[in-house]
Amino acid sequence: MFDLLNIAIDSAISSGAKYSDARILVSKSRNIAAKNGEVENFNESEKIGLGIRALVGSSWGFYSTYDLSRESLISSGKKAFEIAKASAVVSGKETPFADVPVVQDEYTTPHEENPFKVSSTEQIDLLVNSTEQMKKLGSSRSSGRLDFWDTEKWFCSSQGHEIFQNIIESGGGISSLSVGDGETQIRSYPQSFGEYRTGGWEVIKSFEFGKHTQRLAEESQRLLVAPQCPEGVMDLILEGSQLALQIHESVGHAIELDRILGWEAAYAGTSHLELDKLNKHRYGSELMNIVADATLPGALATFKYDDEGTPAQRVEIVKEGIWTGVLSGRDSAAIAGVKPGGMVRADGFSRLPMVRMTNVGLLPGESSLEEIIESTDNGIYMETNRSWSIDDLRLNFQFGCEAGWVVKNGKIIDMVKNPTYTGITPEFWGNMDMLANENEWVFWGTPNCGKGQPSQIGHTGHPASPARFKNTRIGVRG
Amino acid sequence: MNIWKEVLGDLQKQIPNSVECELKMMHSKSALTRFANSHIHQNVDEESADVFLTIHKDGKTISRSKNITGIKSSKEFVKEALDSIDESPKDTTWAGLTSKSESYEGFQELHEANPEERANLVRDFVKEGEGMNAAGYCSTYLNNFFIWNTNGLNSSDTSSSAFIDGIFRTDTSAGSSHRGAVNINNLDASQTGKEAAKLAVDSQNPIDIDPGKYEVILGHEAVSTILVFLSVYGLNAKSKIDGMSPILLNENQFDEKINLIDTPEDSESIGFKIDASGAKKYNLEIIKNGVPSTYFHTRRTSKELNMENTHHEFFGVDDYFGGIGTNLNLDKGNVNHSDMISSVKKGIYINEFWYCRVLDPITQVVTGLNRNGSFLIENGKITKPIGRLRFTQSFIKSLSPGNVISVGDKSRYADSEFGEGMLKVPKLHLKEFNFTGGVSG
Repeated sequence: MFDLLNIAIDSAISSGAKYSDARILVSKSRNIAAKNGEVENFNESEKIGLGIRALVGSSWGFYSTYDLSRESLISSGKKAFEIAKASAVVSGKETPFADVPVVQDEYTTPHEENPFKVSSTEQIDLLVNSTEQMKKLGSSRSSGRLDFWDTEKWFCSSQGHEIFQNIIESGGGISSLSVGDGETQIRSYPQSFGEYRTGGWEVIKSFEFGKHTQRLAEESQRLLVAPQCPEGVMDLILEGSQLALQIHESVGHAIELDRILGWEAAYAGTSHLELDKLNKHRYGSELMNIVADATLPGALATFKYDDEGTPAQRVEIVKEGIWTGVLSGRDSAAIAGVKPGGMVRADGFSRLPMVRMTNVGLLPGESSLEEIIESTDNGIYMETNRSWSIDDLRLNFQFGCEAGWVVKNGKIIDMVKNPTYTGITPEFWGNMDMLANENEWVFWGTPNCGKGQPSQIGHTGHPASPARFKNTRIGVRG
Repeated sequence: MNIWKEVLGDLQKQIPNSVECELKMMHSKSALTRFANSHIHQNVDEESADVFLTIHKDGKTISRSKNITGIKSSKEFVKEALDSIDESPKDTTWAGLTSKSESYEGFQELHEANPEERANLVRDFVKEGEGMNAAGYCSTYLNNFFIWNTNGLNSSDTSSSAFIDGIFRTDTSAGSSHRGAVNINNLDASQTGKEAAKLAVDSQNPIDIDPGKYEVILGHEAVSTILVFLSVYGLNAKSKIDGMSPILLNENQFDEKINLIDTPEDSESIGFKIDASGAKKYNLEIIKNGVPSTYFHTRRTSKELNMENTHHEFFGVDDYFGGIGTNLNLDKGNVNHSDMISSVKKGIYINEFWYCRVLDPITQVVTGLNRNGSFLIENGKITKPIGRLRFTQSFIKSLSPGNVISVGDKSRYADSEFGEGMLKVPKLHLKEFNFTGGVSG
């Protein structure tokens, strides 16, 4: 494969590109969905192809094809160059490109059981049985899904990189939906849309769906008759998976250097962060320590090299509440004057690599969830995301959760439905006053992060434990 | 015969007579020229050819997809599926294959646009906002779809589309606009740029206003977002089956000024004239004078609900997502923009919504924000630009009887939360819209 890649790269360079790199991917996926004890979807797919990019002046040119013939590879390199060159009609300053070590290496995701070698019958049965149990327990619509990805990726650059990686990802989840009089309520496990990690079938086995079906079915029905979440300003305690999404939306996207530089302005938006405030801006309370770590074993965004050949690394993003780092690639880092962070990835061979969150997580604190609840006089504990919305500067957000519990005088006293909360990013994080410890720190994964044009879906990780936020506006309704 | 039919022909030969089988191929050439900070920074071009195989045998169904490089041999690809079908569970909602009589021959040899054409449109857009920061894209698509099944169906179609979309930013504001067409030559990038530039200039130094219930005039993109949510979450028959649809057929659920038609047969409509099952699509009334008359159906949903199939099966994913309307046309009214504004005593103009998410599917309460051009209207005039507002509003109620004051007299393709090229809409003047938060939360 490296020989094939170098044919395309040589073609781009001989055409006039300043730099070129290319990837060949063999991407396999298996997707299974079940509903009410029956399989709703079972599909396996495989795609093989090449993506090559060329840097000319101020623009990247990128071409992708399924055709790996020698003639096509030469043509692809030329096209990448020509596409970039056409950008000169509306050109800017020449794009700089930071150096990284040139390596020849390979990596495979550590895993116990390759999910593609496990019988699909076993995987289907797991979902069918789980959803059948919830249906029998009164769920109006029980559903479950499993997704597996096996990606073999060969990467070469005009600087001499030759890297092979085999990334294996597994995930899924189950949920119970109950339909009442003009409303629906849902409970999901391990989190809404499922939980995803790097690893094999053992990831799914660790979830133990069977131990959670009864709770999900009962809670989704109980929510139908539960009172509405109260409105007001009070303490908010977030369960880990909801906090993970809070990190994703209000920190992870805001620290993407391509957004800060305006490259995503028309679609995903920009950021409230400005580079001259790096190492000065207060992002949150002193309990807030965020790192982007692509080396965490088992987390969803763990790899050895990104799609520019930069080594995976641990980068400090927020230290004791002060903003200290960004998510960067070789071009954006060179512009901003920071070290390339190894955070550029593409959604398959047919997409241009772009800045992507790695495992952007909140380091654990010292409390337990029990202690957080015991020390809360008046608040709501919220679990599992149901809706999320944030502005294009990543400041003004509103989240809804599946279930809430009223906390009074240190005790959970009542389940409430339709819990929502809203806030402004630095104020919200500034109000974090208690954070659960490493016993409750989970490597949550988000498999559906949309960004870029053409649209790309990214897989990101967000280690988090539960936390408390003072004086939060809760219970916003339409 | 083109090369793609030859590929499908090779695969067909491997299908035994004892099974029901559907073979589909999507061949696409797509390109997108992206600009930011007023220059082109990313320029991409892609060619793909994906094959989708579905086999149904003894009550069981199996689906496999590969791109053509992934298919080592036709025989092996089909054999892998046949060998695995026994592991599949019973498929109780199988609704059969499209009949031979539905065959449609729409394939055309069309030429793709080149990067220079896209760059020229970007240049035309950018120059309309001299001194401002421009960002956006110009994209072109050329798709060929082929489908064969063991009922003898042979359908094909070709679709092309092109879009220009962008914003201008100042230090305190932004303005956006969007256009879509079947052919890149029909895009007016200068006009699109003019509109975006004017909104950006007029939006500078916005004031904050208190949240609350306001009369609103919604621009094309904002209207498009409301309708695409109703389409995907409400009119989709799968939502009805799952108990999640808010749509009530044959009831006066919406204002009588709301008339929604699906228009795949129109020459200006973007997309295929057939659905993913290979059946010809027809123009169809969805909501007439505020009364919904049908859901969007696939083979499976029409069987399960015992309703007529409207042929809205989505491409590439079987019918897991149910039926999606992709040529929606909200009927124009007769009120122009100026008259809409002059009829408002106190209200808000919103160009575009952003990051909308459903809080509850049945009530279609959605939260989201405004962006790229919002203004306070007082005594019939736009008086001040306004900043960020968060709404939490039922999209069903927003179009309910009595809440639609007027419908704009101009319609165009508008971008939406679920993509472009699916909706042609005018502006809407609504009596009440609920804003629950402002700049300070």
